[in-house]
Amino acid sequence: MTFVVTDNCIKCKYMDCVEVCPVDCFYEGDNMLVINPDECIDCGVCEPECPAEAIFPDTEPGLDSWLKLNAEYASVWPNITIKREEPPDAKSFDGVANKLEQYFSADSGRGD
Amino acid sequence: MISSTAKLDHVSEDGIRQLVDAFYTKVRVDPDLAPIFACAIPGDWQPHLNKMYAFWSSVMLTTGRYKGNPVVKHLVIPGLQIHLFERWLALFNETCGELFDDSVSKEFRSKAERIAESLKLALFYRPDRPWPAEDPR
Repeated sequence: MTFVVTDNCIKCKYMDCVEVCPVDCFYEGDNMLVINPDECIDCGVCEPECPAEAIFPDTEPGLDSWLKLNAEYASVWPNITIKREEPPDAKSFDGVANKLEQYFSADSGRGD
Repeated sequence: MISSTAKLDHVSEDGIRQLVDAFYTKVRVDPDLAPIFACAIPGDWQPHLNKMYAFWSSVMLTTGRYKGNPVVKHLVIPGLQIHLFERWLALFNETCGELFDDSVSKEFRSKAERIAESLKLALFYRPDRPWPAEDPR
């Protein structure tokens, strides 16, 4: 069991989650974060911390494709454990629908 | 004011310390768990207890005090079997119930159960075998 990062993280990337995660299982892309499902211990600490409400338990229906995306990019993006400033335009993208199709970037983020 | 025997009605660092201390006191004399823990922690227990204070503080109070990789730590424990997680949970739940009121106790138990399930999956799940599995590795 794991938690997964979903659509509303894209271009918001607030990063509050990385500070509270006890097992450092967040990985940073250019404009979103993902959780490594093999490292997540399902403690759920990150879920309420996310200002964009983008993190869900994988037991929720309809998250298969997100689980796959999290697993795939966690293996290529760098680990992130220290929060930085969110993108300056984060708030304007918070709540925008279907960001995956429009804005997702497969590029790596900076990591720690 | 609450009396010294009243159950704790909220989570605090002090409550976590009491829980961890009481729980591991039981673990260390439990016929099923004691041998595994004695093997994994052969010397001074205090560093482990400190780590567990930090772990539960991170999980229950979101303090970020613990940083580690429990899956990897558990992978190298010799003789660890899946049924021992049930025993661990039973003792943990019992200790929570002794210290905390029902609502707080339930919060701890629900976190512990989720974490145990995810550790069990990480350690014992094999795609070619049925799950839940009851057989040792």
